[in-house]
Amino acid sequence: MKLPLRPPGIRSLPFSFPGRPSFSGRLHDARTATAVGRLLGAAVAVCFVTGLVSHVLQHPPALLANSLPSRPSWGYRFSQGLHVASGIAAVPLLLVKLWAVYPRLFAGPPVRSVRHALERLSVAVLVASALFELFSGLFNTAQWYPWPFSFVPVHFAVGWLLIGSLLLHVAVKLPDIATHWRRRSPGTLSLPAGDAPDRRSLLVATGAAAGAVTLTTVGQSLTPLKSLDLLAPRHPDHGELGLPVNRTAARAGVTAGSVRGWRLYVGGPRPYEITLDDLRAMPQREVVLPIACVEGWSRSARWSGVRVRDLMDRAGAPVGALIRVTSLEGHGAYRVMVMPHTYARDPLTLLALRLNGEELPPDHGYPARIIAPNRPGVLQTKWVSRMEAL
Amino acid sequence: MTRGSRALPVLRAVAGACGVALMGVGMWAAWRGDDPQDPWPVVRWLAGAVLVHDGIVAPLTLLAGLVVVRLRARRAVRGGLLVAASVTAVAYPVLFRPGVPQNPSVLPLDYVRNWLFVLALTAAATAVIALTGARARAWARRPRTREGNDGRKTPRGS
Ligand code: HEM
Repeated sequence: MKLPLRPPGIRSLPFSFPGRPSFSGRLHDARTATAVGRLLGAAVAVCFVTGLVSHVLQHPPALLANSLPSRPSWGYRFSQGLHVASGIAAVPLLLVKLWAVYPRLFAGPPVRSVRHALERLSVAVLVASALFELFSGLFNTAQWYPWPFSFVPVHFAVGWLLIGSLLLHVAVKLPDIATHWRRRSPGTLSLPAGDAPDRRSLLVATGAAAGAVTLTTVGQSLTPLKSLDLLAPRHPDHGELGLPVNRTAARAGVTAGSVRGWRLYVGGPRPYEITLDDLRAMPQREVVLPIACVEGWSRSARWSGVRVRDLMDRAGAPVGALIRVTSLEGHGAYRVMVMPHTYARDPLTLLALRLNGEELPPDHGYPARIIAPNRPGVLQTKWVSRMEAL
Repeated sequence: MTRGSRALPVLRAVAGACGVALMGVGMWAAWRGDDPQDPWPVVRWLAGAVLVHDGIVAPLTLLAGLVVVRLRARRAVRGGLLVAASVTAVAYPVLFRPGVPQNPSVLPLDYVRNWLFVLALTAAATAVIALTGARARAWARRPRTREGNDGRKTPRGS
């Protein structure tokens, strides 16, 4: 096939673009892109907001470092469960959305102007960051890290790239979106009417796909649906004493030897050390609080132990002090945890000694661990050895 | 843009500028943030995601579409394939993760069995929908007794 070097109607095309595929299929249109796009946009927005919540709870900016809210007690469980669930639901939405607009990848001429080039570049960033966020998040929940960089900072940064390029995309496409927003919008009406039932069926199928992936995974955090949890990386019924585990005592290097003769050091104006028996002799409190993992799974449990604020009061710690909690584990990013006073003063926050009516097993943090409301699982420090007012 | 609203161009420009600014935050976070990353591996993986999708996943989907549109029950089959493909994409990491999980509560299920079960369920639902659809079409094509009641739904937009 011979193509003219400069196709008619194009002012300055530096090269010909032969072999451009043509697409005879239906539904590669702006109404389909809008109808799927707005669901995808909603899912991405939910992911971004809940992702920020998770980031702030783990790495609070200076302004919030001592005042993160400890309530609602189920807050992090809800927001991180939603983060992972909406990311999973976005997988079919993204696949269908990209299918619907795929022919535009080959729309010619490839580049019309500087502005057009920038626009296409921003679309490339959008597609890349959307695919990357869903892919990396999903693999992370299965603890599979095939990439050569660390997950958290990159997933965080690309999240901003995604939400920014999405906002730009919606701004660029706003006229198209507005004219295809409804079934009776002018743009929709100008599309072949015969496609409408077919489009409806595609949208129903997309909803079914989003529903299927949600129902088969959401039971890892929404416990009432645990019997449908077929494909999630965690299941609420798998784990010692009915609670899944991430870091085991063996992995953390905590052995029977390292807890022998264990005493807790409590630092403040009147520092003291206390044995496990003395802790057991203090007033015991029982709370029901979830372990809510950054990976999206969560499970509620019954904990009993001593209130952190009772321990700190005994050391004369100021009410507003940050509390530094140190674990017995020899290494690891979460060996030292700093707890804002909002958690330390919360009556639900315990140094827990028992779980679901039994002594803490080693993998759940024996001899003592932190359990606090509205807190990511990685900050519920296990094998606690020191608590100090800063 | 319907009804010639004059606020809209301003809104678009502001939203677009905010988008560019947020993208800037992302770049800054990656390369200058608390935990700066080597940019090239990240760029390679971002580009790789697009290449795998646009070069492999999308063409295969379009190829499947070429076959599906020729089927009588194409809508049901397309829906079934979409559900099956989505479930497979979401299950991919739990199905194929190499190595031994950290502890028995990580990846505790028999995922191959569960995945096949979900696929079978999807196939069964697809078959039921395809058959009921075929019956409805046969019903619509039956010799009419009364005019204006041919069982066919009026076309609807979507
Ligand atoms: C992660 C989110 C999204 C991704 C990855 C995405 C991806 C894309 C891509 C690659 C294109 C083709 C662009 C071009 O070549 O010009 C496109 C077009 C379009 N998108 Fe999106 N999009 C997303 C979200 C949205 C949202 C939230 C909406 C609106 C509610 C939307 C509405 C549209 C429309 C109307 C078009 C034009 C389609 C046409 O004219 O055929 N998109 N999208």
